[in-house]
Amino acid sequence: MAYPPTSIGSPPRPLPRASAWAAGLLSALALAAALPALAQVNAPLPVDKAFRLSARALNPETIEARFVIADGYYLYRDRINFSIEPAAARLAVPPLPEGKVKEDQFFGKVQTYRGGLIVNLAVRDAKVGERVVLKVESQGCADVGICYPPNTQRISLVLPAANSAPTRPDEPAKKSWFN
Amino acid sequence: MNKSLRGLLVAVVGVAALAAGVYFGLLRTPDMEGQDGATLLALSLPNAAGVEQSLGQWPGKVLVVNFWATWCAPCREEMPEFVRAQSEYGARGLQFVGIAVDQADKVEQFSKEFGLNYPSLIGGYGAVELSKTLGNRLAALPFTIVVDRQGRIAHTQLGPLKPDKLRAIVDKLL
Repeated sequence: MAYPPTSIGSPPRPLPRASAWAAGLLSALALAAALPALAQVNAPLPVDKAFRLSARALNPETIEARFVIADGYYLYRDRINFSIEPAAARLAVPPLPEGKVKEDQFFGKVQTYRGGLIVNLAVRDAKVGERVVLKVESQGCADVGICYPPNTQRISLVLPAANSAPTRPDEPAKKSWFN
Repeated sequence: MNKSLRGLLVAVVGVAALAAGVYFGLLRTPDMEGQDGATLLALSLPNAAGVEQSLGQWPGKVLVVNFWATWCAPCREEMPEFVRAQSEYGARGLQFVGIAVDQADKVEQFSKEFGLNYPSLIGGYGAVELSKTLGNRLAALPFTIVVDRQGRIAHTQLGPLKPDKLRAIVDKLL
């Protein structure tokens, strides 16, 4: 061979211009930003995120329990149960509010909650200042066609003395530096 | 390429890959697909009569394992299609098996009412924990696992398995 081959492959390409890189980076960033948002729209939520429970003591004898139910999810009215610990304390649960009536092909007429639910629970025989645990069992489904098994959520709270401000859920006991 | 630009590009691609992983990972549960289904096939659970049944008793068949419950409306909705598919494909080597997150008496009653033509084993609420180890991260129902003739997990699905999709998966494996 007299001469080395002269035209193998393509000639070296000019480096892409900075603006092309910037555009590429921006598209990649947009994609990266959009995907989690898409995932949030489409992917089913973990049960505790689909049905967010919070609770606070309104006074020494009343606990307000609140469910915030994500869009596209619902709880069955007759599968919600409240209980309290310690066993010495008792909970008087009022009739739950009317839900949305759903004609289910299998279960007949059932009531469901969408959006949210607030229930005021009366506490009896608990000591003021005592830490109690509210246990809430619930069962719900998502419109995408999945159901969660009955789920028990627990919220620990302290019953306030009369006339004090309502406590926030899971508020840690205040520690004094002087004790 | 300028070093910092390259670093930025790597970071962006990394974030995009992570986001894509989250996106596709939550919609499907593909991490189990292609894996050996030995853990699943080694399971043994009682049927409604209390007799232990091993999931390994159908070697060489395509197995569709469906986690369900009588209290789960979307589960009940898709089961007539499973009954149809069992009659249609059974002779070609397809075997459905239900694992009920439920009580034996309820499962028995349901099986009679719906004319289930495949076994449904009783897993109780413990079956939910079991399904989590098989890719059901949200622990919700229905959850279905298709195992190929070689005992490998071919498909996992949270939520209803639509008839077209079920048939497409099964046709490929039989």
